Amino acid sequence: MSEKDQYKNRIELLQGTLDMLILQTLQWGPQHGYGIVQALRLRSGDVLQVETGSLYPALHRLERQGWVQSEWKQSESRQRARYYRITAKGKKQLASDLGRWERIVEAIGSVMYVKPEESES
Amino acid sequence: MKWFPNLGFQGRRREFEEEIDAHLQMAIADRVARGETPEAARQAAEREFGNIPLVEDVTRDMWGRGWLEQLGRDVRYALRQLRRSPGFTITATAMLTVAICANSTVFSWMDGTMLRPIPGARDTSALVSLQRGERTTPPFSYLDYRDLREQNRSFDGILAYHHDWITLTGGAQPERVYIANVSANFFDVLGIKPMLGRFFLPDEESRPAIPSVVLGYSLWKTRYAADPAIVGKSIDIARHPVTVIGVAPEGVTGAMPGLREDLWVTLDPLGTEGWRMTHRSGGNAVWLNVIGRLRPGVSRGQAAQDLDTVMRHIVAAYPDQHLGDNRITLDPMWRSPFGANGLMAATLPLLLAFAAVVLLLTCANVATLTLVRFVSRRRELAIRQSLGANRLQLVRQMVMEGVLLSLVAGAAALVLTSWTSKTFAWFFPANENPLILNGAMDHKVVIGIAVSSLLVGMLCGALPAWRSSHAPAAEVLKAESASISGGSRNRKLLSGLVVAQIALSLPLLLCSGLFLRTLRNLAGANPGFEQDHILTASVGTNIAGYSREEERLIRHKILDRVSALPGVRVATFTDWIPMTLSHKGEDAYPEGYVPHPHEALQVYHADVGPRYLESLHIPILEGREFTLHDDEKAPRVLIVDQTAARHYWPGQDPMGKRLRVWGSLFTVVGVARNSTHIFVNESPEPLVYTSFFQTGYETIVQVETEGNPADMEPAVENVIHAIDPRLPVFDVRPLRESTQMASSFAVIESALAGMFALIGLVLAVTGIYGVVAYRTQMRTHEIGIRMALGASRVDVLRLVLVQGLWLTGIGLALGLAFALGLTRLIARLFYGIGAHDPATVASVAMLLGTMSLLACYLPAHRAMRRNPVTAIREL
Repeated sequence: MSEKDQYKNRIELLQGTLDMLILQTLQWGPQHGYGIVQALRLRSGDVLQVETGSLYPALHRLERQGWVQSEWKQSESRQRARYYRITAKGKKQLASDLGRWERIVEAIGSVMYVKPEESES
Repeated sequence: MKWFPNLGFQGRRREFEEEIDAHLQMAIADRVARGETPEAARQAAEREFGNIPLVEDVTRDMWGRGWLEQLGRDVRYALRQLRRSPGFTITATAMLTVAICANSTVFSWMDGTMLRPIPGARDTSALVSLQRGERTTPPFSYLDYRDLREQNRSFDGILAYHHDWITLTGGAQPERVYIANVSANFFDVLGIKPMLGRFFLPDEESRPAIPSVVLGYSLWKTRYAADPAIVGKSIDIARHPVTVIGVAPEGVTGAMPGLREDLWVTLDPLGTEGWRMTHRSGGNAVWLNVIGRLRPGVSRGQAAQDLDTVMRHIVAAYPDQHLGDNRITLDPMWRSPFGANGLMAATLPLLLAFAAVVLLLTCANVATLTLVRFVSRRRELAIRQSLGANRLQLVRQMVMEGVLLSLVAGAAALVLTSWTSKTFAWFFPANENPLILNGAMDHKVVIGIAVSSLLVGMLCGALPAWRSSHAPAAEVLKAESASISGGSRNRKLLSGLVVAQIALSLPLLLCSGLFLRTLRNLAGANPGFEQDHILTASVGTNIAGYSREEERLIRHKILDRVSALPGVRVATFTDWIPMTLSHKGEDAYPEGYVPHPHEALQVYHADVGPRYLESLHIPILEGREFTLHDDEKAPRVLIVDQTAARHYWPGQDPMGKRLRVWGSLFTVVGVARNSTHIFVNESPEPLVYTSFFQTGYETIVQVETEGNPADMEPAVENVIHAIDPRLPVFDVRPLRESTQMASSFAVIESALAGMFALIGLVLAVTGIYGVVAYRTQMRTHEIGIRMALGASRVDVLRLVLVQGLWLTGIGLALGLAFALGLTRLIARLFYGIGAHDPATVASVAMLLGTMSLLACYLPAHRAMRRNPVTAIREL
């Protein structure tokens, strides 16, 4: 694998993570942009703070790829907002993103948590 | 899409602003609910949101550029690249323009002639031209035509027409016009509607009470001042009053491809020739050209079979009137044997093939230049590739450069062709026929140009781009000197392109060489008759309504008075001029001879006056020429040429033998030497001469002059007009001028082949020069090192030259094989020279080889003179 390809994979990984988080949030039901930010923050215990400058480009890109659909609806507080809903295609994508994420976590984990005696042998 | 799929960019923008606004409102509402003041909540929410315009901007990037926007970017990039090398851009565009224009010009000529055989007619692809036996003169009698029309089951309609000329006698000046006698269904079968009035009714076909006429648009405009009330008026044709019943729409010129008719009457309205409607053979009974419109779904072969069956019944019923070959053949109109298309079909497709070779050659040349450019831009390409551009994007942008070039070239060619398409008429000298041959510029030509531009764009853009994009970026960037000559892959492609250019230009050169020699041979050939001191003038006695007796008197007066003119050696009559693409043919067979079925008995035929052969310097080998005494009261006599003598009486003396023509017996009184009838390179056809004062129909005065025949034109014309000022006199011109018609196609072929070959030579030579110069430049560094290490200048010269020699040698060998195969296919177009004429082959190969070597020598010479020190420094 050449240098360039690795570089590309790194970008994809970062993008993929945000995409995965958004898709996962939408699994729980249609949500608007503000709602997604709040949900991610709550679920991650205030650790993940998604920038709007990342969120909206990602949402619009996901929509273009056909992974989410959007429509204008009234919220419970009678505020008109654009709600995003995950599509069947999006669910498939989420499953594959999740699988990859788990492999990476596992791989990184096995590198980071090598037991000293094992490394010596 | 759930939301407003048709929103444009502005709409999406507004919608996104709303989305952001909703986001902020909800954030503010949450904060207010938590107890913040509205003002503080708004400020905090906005701070939290971040830079709104920036968010808008990066989000808009995600909307994806529409293909249109992407295209715009590619075009801008390509334009920038092209602007950076104006030399390449201008050269390539100019070359492509010329090449595309060559193709579109020839195609526009085909379009105006072969593809538009009958202007104004509906769906000419369903029309077929009927032919009986091997005749090329009008093949059908009226009665045969009527039987075919009524008994066939394959045609929507079958029309008949006879193309002729006639005189409009009303008004101050008699005017010769071209007329057609047509069947009543003529315009219906063609699918033409009248512009004014009506066309013919079925019961007007023969002997109507009052003859009626349909005027052509241009005649109506010029002679009748576009009179809108012309319908119903009476005009004089050959001193017969006829009623105008309608005017044809603009552009309609009749059914004879390439020839114009000015007006139309039904088959026998003027009652001049009794035989025309009542006989199946003899006299002028066989006089009609016939065109049919196939029923939908019926093929040409089926229709021919159907008509053949009908024709067999006719032959069985009237065997004596149908001697000779009577099989029916059908031709599509684009190669109809009547009119000009048969000749067009033999020449124009070949020229189009030549033009296509020129286009290929040009593509190879431009592709070479493009490849060289891409190789020198490989660093830029490599950098863009490593910055993340994928290969498809790079290729797309590089292809765009080729596409832009070819589009501009196509547009330029379009403009040029609108002029060059009209140059076709220049090739045809003035002659007795109303030729309307010219190119046409319509949607077919435009589509042709678009298609060839597209192809060109692909060939000279995509091919080099795809090859160049292969270069692995990392290698190019780190190892500049290793790939100094552009990598071996590109070197092979470049060499291939150069070889292709040489190989493609050689056949062009060889063909043009052979065509030029052919033209010279044709001009220098002896046609067997004197062309230089002869003047001919047509007198419309037969078409101006004179009686037989009046005509006889006029002819004798003309002969007396023209003979008496100073400067006139011999004056005589004829009804045919050789080498003008026309001939008259008759069925003729020896007395007592029973022809085999399908045996062709046609002979060429000319009615000639006393001393005709003497004035043309055609020797009488045996017997005598006609005299004034061979007139209507005397026994019918005939002179045969050598071919006819051999044809009818092989191994016998033809003198005193008798030949049956039109049902009468003619006695042979002389044998004349063969002479050319239509083309110098024809295979000799039998020809019989009959006495003008016995059988002459049309009157052409033929004068042998002492000086330049053109000087005699006014005198001859005046003396005829002095006999009767109402006599129409036309087509007065030297014989040499008329016979140019026979070589006009050779002129077209050699002119275009010559032009194309010149373009080919220039392209091939510049192509090899460009590649060798480029490669030598790339090797400057290496050459410097070689010289520093002791290589002599001659070594350097050899190094560079050998490379060029190889390319030239391979190109010549391939080209020679290609060329010799090609010329064998078109050998029939050459005259007096073999398709593999060694002198021509050797000289064009020498020419191309020498020019290529010269092209290699220049860069070699330059490399040789370089100072090694500066050469090494230069990289």
